[in-house]
Amino acid sequence: MIDFDTLKFPEDVAWIVLLLPLLAVFVTTVFTRRDAKLSGMISIVAVCLSFLVSVGLFVLIGATEAKSAASSALDWISISGTDGVSIELCLLLDPLSLLMLLVVTGVGAAIHIYSYGYMHDDPGMSRYFACLSLFTFSMLGIVLANNFVMMFIFWELVGVSSYLLIGFWHEKASAADAAKKAFITNRLGDFGFILGILLIWSATQGDLSFDALHARLATHPGALGPLACVAGLLIFCGAVGKSAQFPLHVWLPDAMEGPTPVSALIHAATMVAAGVYMLCRVFFLFTVPAAWPVSLSFMQGFTALDVIAWIGGVTALLAALIAVQQNDIKRILAYSTLSQLGYMVMAVGLSTAKAGPTPAMFHLVTHAFFKALLFLGAGSVILALHHEQDIWKMGGLKKKMPVTYWTFLIGTLALCGVPPLSGFYSKDSILALAASRNVALFIVGLLTAVLTAFYMFRLYFVALVGRERSEAASHAHESPRVMTMPLVLLALGSVTAGFVGVEGVLNKVLVSSAELHALPWHKAILAPFSHAPMAALAGLGAVILGFSIAFGLYHNAATDPLPEKLGFVARAMRNRFYFDEIYQFLIRCAHEVASHAADWFDRWIIAGICVRGASSGTDLFGRALRLVQTGNLQTYAFLFVVGVALVLWFVLQ
Amino acid sequence: MNIFGLTFEIWVVALGLLVLLADFWTPPAHKWRLGLASAWLLFIMLLVTWRASTNVSILTFSQSYVIDGLALFFKRFFFVAAILVLVMTVGFAEKLGTGLAEYCALTLFALAGMMLAASANHFAVLFVALELITVTFYVLVSFQRRCVQSLEAGVKYLIIGALSSGFLIYGIALVYGASGSLSFEVIAQKSASLADKPLFLLGLLLIFVGLGFKIAMVPFQIWVPDVYQGSPTPTTAFLAVGSKAAGFVLLLRLLQFVVPEVAAHWQKLLMVLAGLTILYGNLCAIPQRNLKRLLGYSSIANAGYLLMGVAAMTQAGSAAILYYLSGYLFTLLAAFTVIAIILQQTEVEDITALAGLNQRSPFLAAAMTLAMVSLAGVPPLAGFFGKFLLLKAVLEQGAANHAFYWLAGIAIVGVVISLYYYFGVIRAIYWSKDAGVLAPLPIAWTNRCALLVCMAGMLYLGILPNRLVELAAEAVKSLRLA
Repeated sequence: MIDFDTLKFPEDVAWIVLLLPLLAVFVTTVFTRRDAKLSGMISIVAVCLSFLVSVGLFVLIGATEAKSAASSALDWISISGTDGVSIELCLLLDPLSLLMLLVVTGVGAAIHIYSYGYMHDDPGMSRYFACLSLFTFSMLGIVLANNFVMMFIFWELVGVSSYLLIGFWHEKASAADAAKKAFITNRLGDFGFILGILLIWSATQGDLSFDALHARLATHPGALGPLACVAGLLIFCGAVGKSAQFPLHVWLPDAMEGPTPVSALIHAATMVAAGVYMLCRVFFLFTVPAAWPVSLSFMQGFTALDVIAWIGGVTALLAALIAVQQNDIKRILAYSTLSQLGYMVMAVGLSTAKAGPTPAMFHLVTHAFFKALLFLGAGSVILALHHEQDIWKMGGLKKKMPVTYWTFLIGTLALCGVPPLSGFYSKDSILALAASRNVALFIVGLLTAVLTAFYMFRLYFVALVGRERSEAASHAHESPRVMTMPLVLLALGSVTAGFVGVEGVLNKVLVSSAELHALPWHKAILAPFSHAPMAALAGLGAVILGFSIAFGLYHNAATDPLPEKLGFVARAMRNRFYFDEIYQFLIRCAHEVASHAADWFDRWIIAGICVRGASSGTDLFGRALRLVQTGNLQTYAFLFVVGVALVLWFVLQ
Repeated sequence: MNIFGLTFEIWVVALGLLVLLADFWTPPAHKWRLGLASAWLLFIMLLVTWRASTNVSILTFSQSYVIDGLALFFKRFFFVAAILVLVMTVGFAEKLGTGLAEYCALTLFALAGMMLAASANHFAVLFVALELITVTFYVLVSFQRRCVQSLEAGVKYLIIGALSSGFLIYGIALVYGASGSLSFEVIAQKSASLADKPLFLLGLLLIFVGLGFKIAMVPFQIWVPDVYQGSPTPTTAFLAVGSKAAGFVLLLRLLQFVVPEVAAHWQKLLMVLAGLTILYGNLCAIPQRNLKRLLGYSSIANAGYLLMGVAAMTQAGSAAILYYLSGYLFTLLAAFTVIAIILQQTEVEDITALAGLNQRSPFLAAAMTLAMVSLAGVPPLAGFFGKFLLLKAVLEQGAANHAFYWLAGIAIVGVVISLYYYFGVIRAIYWSKDAGVLAPLPIAWTNRCALLVCMAGMLYLGILPNRLVELAAEAVKSLRLA
């Protein structure tokens, strides 16, 4: 089946990266289910090996001058003929996917190791690691996919594995509900995604591989006709679901019901980033000339990218506002994630064909590090406090949990965008982009930055420093080495990812012109201030403003002063602007109406007329016919003779 | 004249006489051994039939007797049916009392008649064969002399049967008058020129009526429910399988060998009758609660499905009839064997007698369920494949005559209706709440073997139909068909 002579090196090594986690799933489910420790080790070894191979690939392929490489292709479906379809399984290796590969396997490895400590006492540890490996496999599939069909398959696999992981403690009703909610909300987005794929399929006669599609659109920009923007937005629907953008953002905060390492892996570093990654992967789709079908002619003058930018901006601001009034440490981080994803999507929307979506990918990478760090830090705190998640019951952890404390602080500073930490550079590149493209969105971005600094320092002042606010907090002690090691590693990443050339790598693939600015790192640290000083200073100002407000309100505060000061607004923020309630109401209304209609139709039309009508009609007919069988011999003989007469008449008439 | 053509019939009649003689010296407690012994001997004869060649057709007794593929196929069919019925009779011995040996002998004589019918190549032989079958059945039907229902059924069968025999013999006389011969071979040569003679047609129609009575076709089905209900269960089974098949082999030979030129004009009649028979049987079965009556109506409906194959007037259609009858044989005998076992314990012939059967004997429940599912035509059982072949044969003719599409539609409606009452039986077996008796049912080993054979047959024919399909296709080659 596999011809070893035609295998390419190093491209086909990528199959190993992809399949190692799947092998781990197989082994842990089939053989080592009963041995939790062994399962964990297998899973960890698999993802670490994947990481090492990814590094090797990154170096080997990165050293070549080619922009991208592809593995050998396996024919999966191939139907010849005029409407022929050919779908192959092939791995695409360009700087974009290689970088993402490093993020997924690198952050993934750290989280796998951390999980070994976190899930130590859980009876379902084997299952946990099997799911985690399945997730890693699926996510790597998305990253490496070279066509839409393959990406969609792995896209759904990610959905399934995240369902399994969110609902990992399925005996808890809230976890089971959250898993369902995440899955169903994602399905809504995926429905749009697959419609978009089918639309592109039909418009391009079956060109679904990214390279072929890119080439076709480069030579025939009008190939998608009047449906160009619709197709783009349908594809974007997939990202709206997976990256939890407004209005499908409601699942992400609930998904925090899963184990904390899962929140870190799936709902901070990888799965939710898949949407943004996908947008970057198919960015060429959005740069074709904007065109709308006649029925949507009121959209004339806008492009699909405008819509994407505004949805991202709205999500960023909305989520930041909600985060301000949350008290659950994981929910604060969840809304923060939403907000940062909004940032990335906004950055994609603001990108130009010429510069490509570099800032979005840049922020994605740095965010993966510091958000995973923050989640793992939060997990460390939660475990130390015996699964206490309310920040108002924490406090005074600086002495007791020094590693967690310091790494969490680094993560906070990176997220807020304090130079020279990574978040500053990526956020600055987005703000600079916004400033040059759309002032309104620039202001939205700045507001979000202020709020980000505010809610993160609120979290810092309440949960980490000050006095102990509960019995549990006073007895907290540092987590084991297996958990703090990943924290330190991720903290290192958070500090350095900004200026060591992530941007340079990204520019290599995403920028179509050749103007690369590869600066030595000591110059790169200060580059933003010379490159776009206004944006950099504004961003810095936003951090200082947010920090000051938080310091004033929450330093040594016993209770939250905001509800008194803001009243209704604070209540609305705390209740997540009532999105869940509104959806619940709308869905219930629609559901009630639809179910009543369906019930009526089923009861009267289908069961009444079609089924009961037909059956009772037949039944009645049968009963009537039976009356012929009187049992009377004379009648029988008479009927026999009548029958003979009828047959004779029929033929001889 | 070649007496050896009649070998099997002579053996069977001799066996019948032997059983009657042996009855004198057999003590009552051992009479059941006679039935079993004759079943064994029949089985040996069945094995011997495989020595005969199906390719050559042998004509003897002045061309009035034929041994060809069709005849051999049906002879084997009747052998299998008779063996299973004799085994069933052994299990049913208590109800038949001291007359068991006579009962077996009569069954053997009926078998001889059926085998003769399979080879009939002359109207006189046809009549003699039919009367041999019918007259023995008069006795078999009313065999439980102390049972009023049995006697009533016997009288009804006798009178309606006599009526149909009257039409039959009248028809034969008219055919002789019009053609000057009773030999199938002779008439077959002349039939094209005789096709527009009203007298000839009238004669043929009256013969058709007589055969229609045997196969329980509308409008000559009226006797079926009463007779099926009143007869001893083994008789009902033999009537439903053997007698019906004898009617069909004669119908096939008459319409498709002797006068296919005439029958080609009768397609409309055959289609109408097939459709009516299907609808009548299935509709009347719906409100039916008596098990044997239910199977009586089901037997009418099945005659309708089989008539579709006749109406198609193709080799595929006739081969499908042969296949369908074979599946029907195992299916129906399984059902009647189960009923016979249950009726030994209770007088109630109602469907409620099946309540709790699953607890009383899972084996019987499984056999009955399999039989019902096969009758309903659900894969992978014999009943499904038979119906499939019949429908395929009919639909293939649809291009030439669109009425065949309607016929297929009616057949499918009939199948849908039949699902209701067949599955009603299954529901009674497994889910009925009002089970009175739950004591385990004793099953004689003979019956157990017969049931196993039937179940194996249903499954074999349903899953691996190729062998029998080939045999059937080979058998119908002697008919004059496209």
